[in-house]
Amino acid sequence: MANNTDGIDPALLGLLQNEVKMSRTKSWSGIETAAYYGPDKRDVDYDTKLGNPGEYPYTRGAYPEMYRSRMWTLRNIVGYGAPEDTREGLLKTIAAGGNGINVVGDPPTTQGIDPDHPAIGPEVGLEGCSLPTMRDMERLLAGVDLAKIDTAWHWSTTAYALVAAVHSHRGQSLNTLQGSNMPDMLQETLSGWGQKVVPAAFGHRNAVDQIEFCTANSPKWALGIPQAYDLRERGLSPAGEIAVGMAIVIKTMEDLVVRGVSIDRAAAGIAWVSISDVDFFEEVAKFRALRRFWARTMKERFGATDTRALRLRIACHTSGRSLVYKQPLNNLTRTAIQSLAALCGGVQSLEACTYDEPVCVPTHEARDLAIRQQQILANEIGAARVADPLGGSWYIESLTDTVEAEAVAMLEKIEKIGVIEAVTNGYIEQIMDDYNLTVQRELDLNERIVVGVNQFVPENDPVPTRFRFDPTNTRIHLQRFSELKQQRDRTSWEAALRHLHDTARGGGNCTQASIDALIADVTVGELWGTLRVANGYAYDPYGAVEAPIRYNA
Amino acid sequence: MTVRCLLGMLGTDVHSKGIRTLAQVLRDAGIEVIYLGEHNSVAGMVRAVIDEDADIIGLSFSSAAYLEYIRQFVTAMRENGVGSVPLMIGGLIHPDDHLPLQEMGISGIFGPGSRMDAIIDFVRNKGGSLQ
Repeated sequence: MANNTDGIDPALLGLLQNEVKMSRTKSWSGIETAAYYGPDKRDVDYDTKLGNPGEYPYTRGAYPEMYRSRMWTLRNIVGYGAPEDTREGLLKTIAAGGNGINVVGDPPTTQGIDPDHPAIGPEVGLEGCSLPTMRDMERLLAGVDLAKIDTAWHWSTTAYALVAAVHSHRGQSLNTLQGSNMPDMLQETLSGWGQKVVPAAFGHRNAVDQIEFCTANSPKWALGIPQAYDLRERGLSPAGEIAVGMAIVIKTMEDLVVRGVSIDRAAAGIAWVSISDVDFFEEVAKFRALRRFWARTMKERFGATDTRALRLRIACHTSGRSLVYKQPLNNLTRTAIQSLAALCGGVQSLEACTYDEPVCVPTHEARDLAIRQQQILANEIGAARVADPLGGSWYIESLTDTVEAEAVAMLEKIEKIGVIEAVTNGYIEQIMDDYNLTVQRELDLNERIVVGVNQFVPENDPVPTRFRFDPTNTRIHLQRFSELKQQRDRTSWEAALRHLHDTARGGGNCTQASIDALIADVTVGELWGTLRVANGYAYDPYGAVEAPIRYNA
Repeated sequence: MTVRCLLGMLGTDVHSKGIRTLAQVLRDAGIEVIYLGEHNSVAGMVRAVIDEDADIIGLSFSSAAYLEYIRQFVTAMRENGVGSVPLMIGGLIHPDDHLPLQEMGISGIFGPGSRMDAIIDFVRNKGGSLQ
């Protein structure tokens, strides 16, 4: 009989054993608690605006028992160097109690640029794992049965196709593929990729392709849309997160419906990638307003009826931008409170930034502390015990309504322009720039105090330790990459590239063709460049690399 | 005469929030900003310094690759005859790298916690006030 752990590297078994569990429903002193609390007598106002946890409009939580029925997933991102380096980091995280594989690719990989590109040499593997080919993904995922272990990928462009290529290449069905990625390309255009790397309409089409394909072929693969985390970090208020995020979601859903995807199926596979910033109460209110806004939009605008489409699941990462370089241990205070806000707001998964986030790629010690922090929240603080613990507070209910009302007003303006146009013409970027400028002015005038930035700046703060790793593997990785390009089967490689180009030119869904191309040893740079050409853009956004073949007209 | 300040980022670094804010703050202070944005190559950036006749250049980095990028950039500036244009850098610059950066001739290093008025001052004086 097949054991459930067959096909899994023994070093990775901790993933299945490290689940965070609710250890206690009594208070620390011993008072028994209920799963949630509510008014003695429900009225119309309560029913329309709040409802109990697990009831429409889900303001108070997606599930009736919340963390009693399912604890949040404790995530910790890893990614540096060559696949072998990141694998080593993942094993350390699992040994410390992490229960998910969460990988961040380096910027070249996530932006569809090969590691041998002449303009980006010094960056390979520095800020994430370099994964330019299916072979590299296979090195990272050796011994990871993707039908049994949930893997989360923090990028949009090629993450699903790379993981799906590994799974298919092993002879397994995409139907069994577990995991998640974040196919939100409009967000990428807005958060610094710009029109140069991802023209809005082109990127959005690729995202809709991925979602349509995954909904039909990999129902266990979760889709993080919108990727509102980066939008907030780039410069948006909590209300702005809801407004811009919903604008992206609504456009995506409309496009999927046109392609014949049912709203109930499409919305059910989606999780909102959110953030928890330093203002505890405002973030709690944001999560509540967001779930209500989502539920009403799906029901009233799209006619969704399935509970799974109406109740929003939220994946949360604490704010990196809020963390301070000076006296970085203070960041543990910030992340603990941000994480508590996320749990009081009812998120389904949580990643806390490491305290050294503003300094460097996380050190192993900092990652260990980030996991311990969540274990303290889970077991000692009682953060998970009762659903929506702040619901009914006059302050929180008022903030929830205000955040929602602000979001409604902003969304209306964006939709009047049209979201693709509002991304392309700089309207949304201007909102973000204005937000950032206001914050900067307030900091300069001491109207907003951040400890260690404009007040209480420590003198003689010791120089922070930087994460360092041996670049030997990166050098070997680059050598392997150039060898693969020499040794691969040129006939099948070229056929796959042509097929990808022609599919894109013909307006078809490019996801299967992308998976097939990666299996034929097409690199991420070649894949993305080919899609760019097919959509009428230059192969290389830097203008430094020629296309590897002459495409059909 | 108005100071012409060229601002931009190199490589794949997308953390442009700081430099975009700086661009606006400098403009408000009466400085002429030529904003090149993200995703520039070293060669493209040096070309822009020449074409735009910049008085001062500002590069921002969140990526740990900055030391190598700055080395390449300074070399390319010198090779193209614009090595005397002052260069300031900002972003996640680690104190351990201040000395090697100064040795490369970088006089304006604006790491975490830098104040906007200090940067405005530095740009107004075309890199003079901190030297």
